[in-house]
Amino acid sequence: MKRVFFLVLFAFFATTNSIVAQETALKGKELFGDMRARHIGPALMSGRINDIEMHPTNSRIIYTGTAGGGVWKSSDGGATFAPIFDDHVQSIGVVTLDPKNPDEIVWVGTGETWTRNSVSIGDGLFRSTDGGTNWTEIPGFENSERIASIVINPNNTDEVYVGVLGALWSASEDRGVYKTTDGGKSWEKILYVGPSTGAADVIMDPKNPNVLYASMWQFRRTGWGFNSGGENSALYKSTDGGKTWNKIHNGFPKGKLGRIAVAVAPSDGNILYAVLETEQKDKNGLWKSTDAGQSWEHMNNDFGLTVRPFYFSRITIDPRNPDIVVKGGLSGSISRDGGKTFKNLGNMHSDIHDITFHINDSDIIYSGTDGGIYRSWNGGSTFEIVENLPLSQFYHISTDDAEPYNVYGGLQDNGSWFGPSSSPGGVNARDWNSVGVGDGFRVLKHPTKNIIYSEMQGAENVWRYDADRHRTKTIQPLPRKGDPELRFNWNAPMAVSRHVPDRFYMGSQFVHRSDDMGDTWTIISPDLTTNDPTKQDQSKSGGLSVDNSGAENHTTIFTIAESPLDQNILWVGTDDGNVQVTTDGGKNWTNVTENLVGIPDNTWVYHIEASEHGKGTAYAVFDGHTTGDMKPYALKTTDFGKTWKNIISDDIQDNAFVRNIQEDYKNEDLLFLGTEMGLYVTIDGGGNWSHFTNNMPPVAVHYIDLQQWEDDIVMGTHGRGVIIIDDISPLRQLNDEVLQKDVHFFDTEAFTMPEESGFSGSFGTETQFVGANKPTSARIVYYLKKRHTFGKMTMEIQDMEGNEISTLTPGKSKGINVVNWNFTSTIPKTAKGKTFSNSGFTAPRVPAGTYKVVLTKGKDTYEHEIEVTYDDKAITTLAERKEQEKLTKTLFDMVEELAYMVYELGEYQNAAETVKAEHPKGEKVATQFYDALENLRTDLVVTTGDNYVASAEPELRERMGELYSNVATSYDQVSGAQRQNFELISEEFEAAKQRYQQILDKEGKKFMKFLEKNDLPKPSIQTKEEFLK
Amino acid sequence: MKTLRTLFIAILLVAMAPSQAQTADEIIDNYFENTGGKDAWGDLDGIKIIGSANAQGMEIPFTMIQMKDGRQVVEIDLQGQKMTQMAFDGETMWTTNFMTMEAEKADAETNEMMKKASKDFPSPLYNYKDKGFEVEMMGTETIEGTETYKLKLTQDPVTIDGKEEANVSYYYFETENFVPIATETEVKAGPNKGQMSKNTMSDYQEVDGLYFPFDMGMAGQNLTVKDIVLNPEVNAEMFAFPEKAEAPATDEKN
Repeated sequence: MKRVFFLVLFAFFATTNSIVAQETALKGKELFGDMRARHIGPALMSGRINDIEMHPTNSRIIYTGTAGGGVWKSSDGGATFAPIFDDHVQSIGVVTLDPKNPDEIVWVGTGETWTRNSVSIGDGLFRSTDGGTNWTEIPGFENSERIASIVINPNNTDEVYVGVLGALWSASEDRGVYKTTDGGKSWEKILYVGPSTGAADVIMDPKNPNVLYASMWQFRRTGWGFNSGGENSALYKSTDGGKTWNKIHNGFPKGKLGRIAVAVAPSDGNILYAVLETEQKDKNGLWKSTDAGQSWEHMNNDFGLTVRPFYFSRITIDPRNPDIVVKGGLSGSISRDGGKTFKNLGNMHSDIHDITFHINDSDIIYSGTDGGIYRSWNGGSTFEIVENLPLSQFYHISTDDAEPYNVYGGLQDNGSWFGPSSSPGGVNARDWNSVGVGDGFRVLKHPTKNIIYSEMQGAENVWRYDADRHRTKTIQPLPRKGDPELRFNWNAPMAVSRHVPDRFYMGSQFVHRSDDMGDTWTIISPDLTTNDPTKQDQSKSGGLSVDNSGAENHTTIFTIAESPLDQNILWVGTDDGNVQVTTDGGKNWTNVTENLVGIPDNTWVYHIEASEHGKGTAYAVFDGHTTGDMKPYALKTTDFGKTWKNIISDDIQDNAFVRNIQEDYKNEDLLFLGTEMGLYVTIDGGGNWSHFTNNMPPVAVHYIDLQQWEDDIVMGTHGRGVIIIDDISPLRQLNDEVLQKDVHFFDTEAFTMPEESGFSGSFGTETQFVGANKPTSARIVYYLKKRHTFGKMTMEIQDMEGNEISTLTPGKSKGINVVNWNFTSTIPKTAKGKTFSNSGFTAPRVPAGTYKVVLTKGKDTYEHEIEVTYDDKAITTLAERKEQEKLTKTLFDMVEELAYMVYELGEYQNAAETVKAEHPKGEKVATQFYDALENLRTDLVVTTGDNYVASAEPELRERMGELYSNVATSYDQVSGAQRQNFELISEEFEAAKQRYQQILDKEGKKFMKFLEKNDLPKPSIQTKEEFLK
Repeated sequence: MKTLRTLFIAILLVAMAPSQAQTADEIIDNYFENTGGKDAWGDLDGIKIIGSANAQGMEIPFTMIQMKDGRQVVEIDLQGQKMTQMAFDGETMWTTNFMTMEAEKADAETNEMMKKASKDFPSPLYNYKDKGFEVEMMGTETIEGTETYKLKLTQDPVTIDGKEEANVSYYYFETENFVPIATETEVKAGPNKGQMSKNTMSDYQEVDGLYFPFDMGMAGQNLTVKDIVLNPEVNAEMFAFPEKAEAPATDEKN
């Protein structure tokens, strides 16, 4: 009956299948099934923090809003953090907890507010009502770009003020201070100064929620400059809940103001501190009011108080003492005399953006820097870093062809690094190697030598690092007699040649080529930029405070791509919108900018990808965000740039501007797009795009590489470190036909059984981030048209004769499923003892060969073959390996034979016990039999002690199991010691078997005779086959 | 046969109007109706699940018994040794220490949590209102590549390391058939504290009229069910903390 029932059920599901079949499309989240990204960090230098928020009553809970890595929550007082905002934009301005219900209600304003050149954009206002597990977007702030403040009335938490700093690169009427009185349903803009002036700080009096202060800031950035300050910057106060506002400048110098920081003492609402940026240098820095803003007194203009106001504008006052004031800055400054004098905070990563005090103990301070969060336990003298915030902000990454391959890249304010894509125990902090200081950008490995090229901002230094001999040399192109001044981008382009290993390219306004790894350079192009002089004066950049860091250098080459098919074909893209190509190694250049379609003039050419599929084929992506144009742009040409085709579809979010594209080297239609809002993938050349969201937050993807040996997509993200999608080869095989099938196995290349063993000693890493490793197992990849929910679905590995080798747990997801098999069969059945034997935890590896994967789904069976090979790096000969496999098998059988012997012996002992208990006549025979068996048993297996230090001396099982386990897991030939030990154990086992037989023949026979005589049943003992099943 | 018919009709309805809005209660009612009927679930006194935990070549057989009154026991078989991995007799939860192979009591907070979970049988969603739990419809979400209804379940708060914390979990019901295919709960302790841990369910099969998942993924570990026995025979001893027979005589004078 049950059977019929199931058949009907399956028949029914089969019909529903055909109903949904029409829905299959070449896009959508389900396409990727359980293909998941993995994160390898690093976290050791962490990344920029925008805001820290303390829970008001539970000191274990801390939130942080990060510049490019989302929102993280600590529930252990800042020892570790976990990400809680991974479905949404990762650039965060502010996190605020509801004062009445801080456990549940969390507000997040997105868009970082320390407006350096490389900042990401936000995407609105969000709220969680369950402590950060689920988030809802609050309508009305879609175009806010950057939210700096969220302030909640503690007496009535439906009353919320939001300060919108707004767009960095364009005018915006969305700026200003907003208020809701109904918990966010409706909003009123209560302070607006103009389209160029945003709300930098909005704060509330600690006692009187009708008293508010707002600092308004006039600012604007372009691709080539920054301007802070203007007539509209001002500090306002409202005493009626935001209905009316008045400037409170009594004492401030006249003229333009820049960014203003303001804070009110939590313990005394009359005491305010403000940090000003003014036209009078000596009036910059800290100001104080002791009458709630009616008048101001200038306190201090030390470097620490005046440095880079756009970047450091946070004042924090000790919640218990209004004289203790901390100001963010290059090092951070602390005053203990009400702002008269300051000293630097203790050593930590520079660039301090936010500081908070512990809710109960002012000795404990948390600091948010360009390099993560730091904790101090002694009032700010010494700091230690939070070790599990992988917020690293890569500008660029590349990979090599080592095994496992390494990932190279440079970071915002955190130098240049390389580290392995996998490492014993996971990718740890200590696996990463520093190969450059300052801001790091492009890091490239020499194609054949162990040489690494790296650079710092503006190519001030380009290093050639000999990784074997640990020597560095600076090799940046230097001006020669008659050269104009070289203009290098902040993130200056470098490229190595695929065709001439020692060839190395760099771009200023010219293309520079070196054929001796950077020792001598030749300029092989004219100025390829627009050379627009209006975009070249950075000495005045910054506005009221000059900020000429080089970050705004413009009219420069930004991307250089050498064709993988022809060393003479070079593509160049400039930050001012030019695409240029040469087909003769730089003798002649063609400006193809005119031919671009749909790209506004002078839009930054962020990346050009020269195709593997045709000499004239290339992709170019354009990024207009520094003009306020956030639209995604990507074009493809197949004729050296004469004509271009748009490859962006409506599937891509309209503010997801593009920085990178990566083509598959095998399937021309498979493309990966790195955007401000994460990764998009197309399998039809750009007709449809799917957002990849499996363990992949919508973080800004700055660079993508496809590691060709492993077919891994490796992403350099600006806020979540390096993120990898292992083996994308199944995506190459996806097409309409596959999507229509119920089950489809993807073809995979032969799997190598990796032969590596080592140690990962993980002491001291308890609170560290550890990156996930690439699985080294065989990946069985298949597509399911429908999620499997009802009825059995199993997977087996069989040899080609159909013998079961192992059973695996199949994935049941709709879409792509990945099942890992670690090349082992099953563990041997092990004799029962008092403790555990190693043999029972060791499954032997299979020999190389072809195996069948058999997937059974209901009544249907699907088969697929995979090939498994030995490792090329093996340290044994094939003959030695066969000996190892043979001995493994012999020992495996021996372990099982012993297991059966101990089982059988135990069953006889049970029978003897029964007789002893129930048949006094037989007590003697039974006791003799029992005791003889027990004597033997105690020599076969451990019968006393525990699994720790009260352990007994090892018996035959333990020693046999140890040898089996050692031989089975070894990658080397069977050693002489092992052979000798095997001889000993074999002999002992033989002797034990003989002893057993003697007991059975003597005491056993008597016992059996007694059973027979008394018509007692013989012990029921499973056959060996039954026992081992 | 009645079960089949209801299941048939329910699925047919869903197939015809897949995007029709559903309330949390409708989803839960549909689930219990489609998997055997609300009454049948209510009549269940306990279940015994026989299966194995699988990991690459290793299969650890287990037997799990869960009773309506909250008593439960998990017994595993490792190298022929059967041991109680975890048991709860309604008052005391205990485990076996793998070093000594001796029984040890769970800490007070864990024990308290187990006590609170006593009313979870056969599912915390069953008559959840009577249990004082809250359920909220969160909308639809793609889980395991397929569309699901997401329900939030809030149970009685628990105490973790001395502080009271909300006890929230999420259920994902496949929209096509109203059975849960995944649940999510926040990890309350250990190195992954604060992160969500996901369990998946598949291979639903019928056992005497009720449907159970025969395959469960629990935080990376896979459990395969071989057999389920409804209303198993049990005795008090199976759940009780074993008082040590040869406990050393304590000096009572102090």
